[in-house]
Amino acid sequence: MKHRVSNTKLHSKIYRGGSESPISKTECIEIGKPNCPALAGQNVATRHAPYKDPMNVIITGVGGQGNVMASRVLAGMLVSAGYVVTIGETFGMSQRGGSVMSHLRISPASVLSPQIPRGSADILVALEPLEALRVLTVYGNPQITVLSNSRSVYPIGVITGELSYPSPDEMNTAFEKLSAVHWMIDATSAAVALGNPVLSNIVMIGALAKTGQLPIDRRAFAREINKNMSADKCTLNLKAFDAGMGMIENIVD
Amino acid sequence: MTTSIKMVISQKILKKEVLEAGLCTGCGACVGLCPYQVIYHDRTIQLHACDLENGKCYDFCPRTSTDQNELRNMLFDAGNVTPETGAMKGYYFSRATDRQLREDAQHGGTVTALMELALFEGLIDSAITSARDQEFGQIGVVVKDKAELRKNAGSKFTVSPTVATFNQLAATKEAGRIGVVATPCQALALAKMKLKAVKEDRGKIDQLKLVIGLYCGWAFAAEEFKELMGQNDIELESIVGMDIPAGKNSLEIYTGNGTKSFPLSDAQACIRSACDYCFDSTAEYADISVGAARFGENGEEMRHWNQMIVRTGKGSDLIELAIKRGVLEVREAPAESLRQLKNAAGEKKKAALQNIIRKSGSAKNLLYLDRHDPVVRRFLAKQLSNKENR
Amino acid sequence: MSKLLSPAGTQVLFMGNEAIARGALEAGLNVAAGYPGTPSSEIIESLAGVARERKLYVEWSTNEKVALEVAAAASFAGLRSMCVMKQNGVNVASDFLLHLTASGTRGGLILVTCEDPGALSSVNEGESRYFARMLEIPLLEPSSFQEAKDLTKWAFELSETIGNVVMLRSVTRMSHASGNVICGKLTTKFRRAKFDYDGPVMDSRTGPVITTPVVAKHALQQGKLKMAGELFEDCPFNSYSGPKHPELLIVTSSACFLYSQEAIRMHNLQKRVGILKLSCTWPLPQKLLKKYLCLTDKIMIVEEVLPFLEENVKVLAAGMLKELGIKTFYGKMDKTLPAVGELNPDLVAAAMAKIMKVRYKSLPAAYTQKLQKVAVLIPVRELTFCPGCPHRASYWNIHNALQLDGREGFVCGDIGCYAMAALFPATGYHTTPTLHSMGSGTGLASGFAKLDVFGMDKPVLAICGDSTFYHAVIPALINAQHNRADITFIVLDNSGTAMTGFQPHPGLTVSAMGESVPSVDIAGICKAIGANVAISDPFDLEGTCKILNSFVAGKGSLNILIMRQICALSPEKKGKKTFDVKVDQALCLGELCGCNRLCTRIFRCPALTWDRTKKKALIDEVICAGCGVCYSICPQKAITKTEVIN
Repeated sequence: MKHRVSNTKLHSKIYRGGSESPISKTECIEIGKPNCPALAGQNVATRHAPYKDPMNVIITGVGGQGNVMASRVLAGMLVSAGYVVTIGETFGMSQRGGSVMSHLRISPASVLSPQIPRGSADILVALEPLEALRVLTVYGNPQITVLSNSRSVYPIGVITGELSYPSPDEMNTAFEKLSAVHWMIDATSAAVALGNPVLSNIVMIGALAKTGQLPIDRRAFAREINKNMSADKCTLNLKAFDAGMGMIENIVD
Repeated sequence: MTTSIKMVISQKILKKEVLEAGLCTGCGACVGLCPYQVIYHDRTIQLHACDLENGKCYDFCPRTSTDQNELRNMLFDAGNVTPETGAMKGYYFSRATDRQLREDAQHGGTVTALMELALFEGLIDSAITSARDQEFGQIGVVVKDKAELRKNAGSKFTVSPTVATFNQLAATKEAGRIGVVATPCQALALAKMKLKAVKEDRGKIDQLKLVIGLYCGWAFAAEEFKELMGQNDIELESIVGMDIPAGKNSLEIYTGNGTKSFPLSDAQACIRSACDYCFDSTAEYADISVGAARFGENGEEMRHWNQMIVRTGKGSDLIELAIKRGVLEVREAPAESLRQLKNAAGEKKKAALQNIIRKSGSAKNLLYLDRHDPVVRRFLAKQLSNKENR
Repeated sequence: MSKLLSPAGTQVLFMGNEAIARGALEAGLNVAAGYPGTPSSEIIESLAGVARERKLYVEWSTNEKVALEVAAAASFAGLRSMCVMKQNGVNVASDFLLHLTASGTRGGLILVTCEDPGALSSVNEGESRYFARMLEIPLLEPSSFQEAKDLTKWAFELSETIGNVVMLRSVTRMSHASGNVICGKLTTKFRRAKFDYDGPVMDSRTGPVITTPVVAKHALQQGKLKMAGELFEDCPFNSYSGPKHPELLIVTSSACFLYSQEAIRMHNLQKRVGILKLSCTWPLPQKLLKKYLCLTDKIMIVEEVLPFLEENVKVLAAGMLKELGIKTFYGKMDKTLPAVGELNPDLVAAAMAKIMKVRYKSLPAAYTQKLQKVAVLIPVRELTFCPGCPHRASYWNIHNALQLDGREGFVCGDIGCYAMAALFPATGYHTTPTLHSMGSGTGLASGFAKLDVFGMDKPVLAICGDSTFYHAVIPALINAQHNRADITFIVLDNSGTAMTGFQPHPGLTVSAMGESVPSVDIAGICKAIGANVAISDPFDLEGTCKILNSFVAGKGSLNILIMRQICALSPEKKGKKTFDVKVDQALCLGELCGCNRLCTRIFRCPALTWDRTKKKALIDEVICAGCGVCYSICPQKAITKTEVIN
């Protein structure tokens, strides 16, 4: 059930990396989610609400965007924090420019099915906006949080002119209608500015951390990447993480 | 002329009405305009699917419906037009004055002499003629000097996609003014281009300054011809020329090792099927049309002369210049020659109509010809009355 | 350090495949062999990564049959070995497997098969579980990541106890899914190979390793299976969870256990539905099943894809009819669960809702309506060749050559990335109408080409990748040559087994374990067969098309064209542009007659996009691989390429 604080509205926010300022400085999230206490007046980044059991997270994008790496890093952070994590993924053919999804089930104790049931995703992190919509049509629900990259990757059918890609307006409207909270950030530009477009997946993880929807933070991220990456790569990835964090404004009521 | 209001994909109807219907003459008009049509050996191939409507391929093809009346009005004076042989400002016998050229050429060397003159006098910057390619088929080539022109002199009996070369050349910035040696179907295609070119493309077709047409009865299909030569142990490389001499009912192939003769019936089996539906034996849409002077009094003497129809003012200017410069010897052609020419041309038109009606199944459907066109109507009536009289 | 070597007691996030590999290491694995196949490839890859530290021999064999033979040799010499493949690999290995299970094994030998229900990365959703029943060997199916590790370790002990192959079956949602696993101890003892064969024929430890006398050895084999069945009765991996008196008993295995568990939770039916999780699914532990089948008369069997478990449970139940009484079985055979495709929690929940007569919770109608409105806006995302993929250029050349030939020639497709030419016709420029198993394209072509006497006059082409060439094509090629089937055979040599993750194969000079090895030359083999062989770079459109034109037109010989150009995702190529490619929009004709978007409409590279506002082509420099092939196809020369100097 939705509760609204008086006079506040749900609207989307597009933040482009760099020196541009965000379009709007305020936004609010829906409150009164099941299993969560009321959040009026609380800064999202620091809320210590108990998380749902399980938290169902979907990371989606186009094959080759770094979906799998994002899910591994995220899962690694959560396992270190003591959670039982199940990831469901498919590789292989989907990598040839097709849609990819990673389902993450996060629970204090239970081992769960690697596939999230329909309509049961809590958080959707999308490296590509069309894929966010696609996932919403199967796993969306009125309480879902959506964090999406704004940069489109056109399907081959769109490129050849056989099919049409929804306009930014259509996509924004859809996100507004289909989610409780949503953010749209230009992670690709931030990644390109850092020298490699594929870093957009890490930018998204940084943004996700800032939203406070999961028990992850910068320290956990640094620890996780230190396990397997060289010092140079770690520095670059931390920059990407920070860029993502910088793209999410704190919630002010 | 009937115009269809329904929008259809040009490439598709071109395929249905011309390529699959066996009407394609291999003229090359639909090639070189875009990446979708190519000529391979002597076949027109659609490489990929194009979904445009109002495409140039369909518009320029000489075997799609044409308003021939409009074309005639655009190019010629109405008073000059004869039903059998198109516009005739003048009819002559001619030959090049250069003896060497006459020997290199098929008959009188008129075509080569005229093209050479046009180039030399700066009336054109490039000439497009037909030449032999590596696989001993014919392709259009761009020629800018005399030696090249002479090398390509002589009749070829297989199809050359010359218009494709024009399309490619006209698209380049350095093309300049162009003269083309064209068969009847090619001349018709070039005339259609003049008529149909939209404003953006005017530049390209306006570069066409001179069309010298060739009389043509038919052409050989490359595959069948190669097979016939192969069966008779004639190497394609060794062929230096071919002819159907006047009075002889045979095809003569001239090779480095001598001459080989074939009964005409053998040769006829190799004719490209599209030629059965051709309405034009004298290249009616050229400035000047040239053929062999077969219809003269003395068969042997006429062997090295051409007959020539001058159709346009541009054509007569060129002939006058040629006489003035002494490169061409021109004399009046006897009336008998003209009579025989018109007879033969008329017979071809009737035969074409007969074949077309047999193919379409009805005299009301003349495929690419317009049954309301005055010339068509005249020969249609003759053809139908012949049938009745039998 | 590889996480596969994590210390005992640590909790690690493992992929199912990695868990299996870890379990094998904990069991003291010595040899592993396999052939790349999604979803199995990571097992061999991760073992190869730790081969040196763990003193393993790990091999990518030319095909699954050879891989099983390699693993069997190790077993005959008393070592512990594992053979890994995807589901249809077992079909390839099956002739040897038939004989191997009859001759028996010595050192523990596990055949790991990773299946793909729903064909997420396959062109079939075949089953290998039936091989276990047909060939009378035990079958194990882990149902969690921890179990994937533990069960694998136990499988080796089982194999050695009974002296035969044990099949371990996983599925995509187990193999490629990940979860927490607590590591056990890695062995410190390493075995030495010892192959005895002089002993008596019937002595499985010291005699010759043969299947004869057949009937006697068959009886022995059945005895081994019986022994396994008895061990299964007390196996801790089979377990029941749920109420003492469930209304509905779910019998399940593999990932379906997780779906079933989730479905119960979704409906809150923990007090009414119990789950019997079987990790030992052949032979069925009879006593155990009897005990739980007695709990209720409503039984649902949840598995994928075919009703293997269901049939076996029913057969068992029929034999115990007097003791069990009448049961109602739900599953695939009565269409409670879909007969084809993969399962998921929703499908199991829907089935449960029907049986238990509960309402399946759904989303608010208003939300579903909004979803439906949005759904129509979403264009499908088709698979296609990557930017810079040599196959795009190869198929461009093949299509053009076939069009020029004009006799409606076609290509018999095969398995690899280039299979997409058959799966998505526009990607292959409508050249490839058939697609089956590895190497079958060449055999089909060999057959098609002999149909000219029956009136079929079309050029017949066959195609395969470099890895597929070694796997299965050679016998069909010899067949074509010897039986004078005039085919044009094309090898797409992109220097690796690309589809499954770029594993090496005999065409390369590096092995699975990263060692320097000799390569086996494809062109040499083709020449030895007696074919007319040419090699070209598919990026050289003109040169390649010329060769193809003459091959396609040619009669009277087997013509082989090897199109050699490295995969765009290979380590050598990835991220490195040969050219900087741009569109000069002033020259681009776009939709006008004369071009009509040849590059975006027909050539179809994902990096070649159509700028809808300017109505011109535009190169997406982020995705462009810089191969420069599109430069050659633009009729206006509007696409420019400048060499990138590194």
